[in-house]
Amino acid sequence: MNTEDIPLQTLLRQTRPAPALPPRFQQNVWRRIEDAEAPAQPASWLDALANLILRPRFALAAAAVLLLMGVFAGTLEGRQMVRHDAQMNYLASVAPHVLR
Amino acid sequence: MNRSLVILLGALALGAGIFAGSYFTAQRATVMCCAKPADDLGWLQMEFHLGDAEMARIRELHDGYLPKCAEMCAKIAAKKDELAAVLGTSTNLTAEAQTKLNEIAALQAQCQAQMLEHFAAVSQAMPPEQGQRYLAEMKRLTLGTNELMEQSMSDHAGHEHGTN
Repeated sequence: MNTEDIPLQTLLRQTRPAPALPPRFQQNVWRRIEDAEAPAQPASWLDALANLILRPRFALAAAAVLLLMGVFAGTLEGRQMVRHDAQMNYLASVAPHVLR
Repeated sequence: MNRSLVILLGALALGAGIFAGSYFTAQRATVMCCAKPADDLGWLQMEFHLGDAEMARIRELHDGYLPKCAEMCAKIAAKKDELAAVLGTSTNLTAEAQTKLNEIAALQAQCQAQMLEHFAAVSQAMPPEQGQRYLAEMKRLTLGTNELMEQSMSDHAGHEHGTN
């Protein structure tokens, strides 16, 4: 801003009438801002759940937990299968009549 | 349809997909990486945590036992063929067929005794605790099958007698 314009601006401001603010103007402004920023209350538990699911943090955490659980359960099951197959191989070699 | 319900169902489907995908991938990867189909004794090493020296001794016992086991199996198979020939198309159980049945039973008992001797020898090649566990497991797997079969047959027979 040009410093030479300051006296001119002051003069212009003085010529313009400044209306008085209504009572509690500032409080009302802040209340409106807070109301606008506050999330809307969900209508039902289903909406609340949907809102929760759509939160990126929750979605990412749930996906990670499911992935880990799947890997854990799959590894356990795979180990059981390997163990069972190996056991059957051994049994077939030492006691073939049992498997007939 | 309600938007929230669609989101919920979509999330459930996605979650199930993530779980199933990771489950089957992990299962297949474990089977592919850990399976040793070529080695009959892989299970012993895996299950009873045996060292190389113990495995070498057990492999020696195993290799010594296999020809004996094969010989017994061949004898039993031959005797079963003889029984089938004697039975032929006859509807009666002849004395000769009864003899063959007794011979088969004797051979099977001999085979089983030989097998149990082998299990005992293998168990002695293991650390005592593992050896006992191995012996118990092998008895359960080999003798337990026959016991279960006999048990189910006796249950079935008892049930039929009860209805008469």
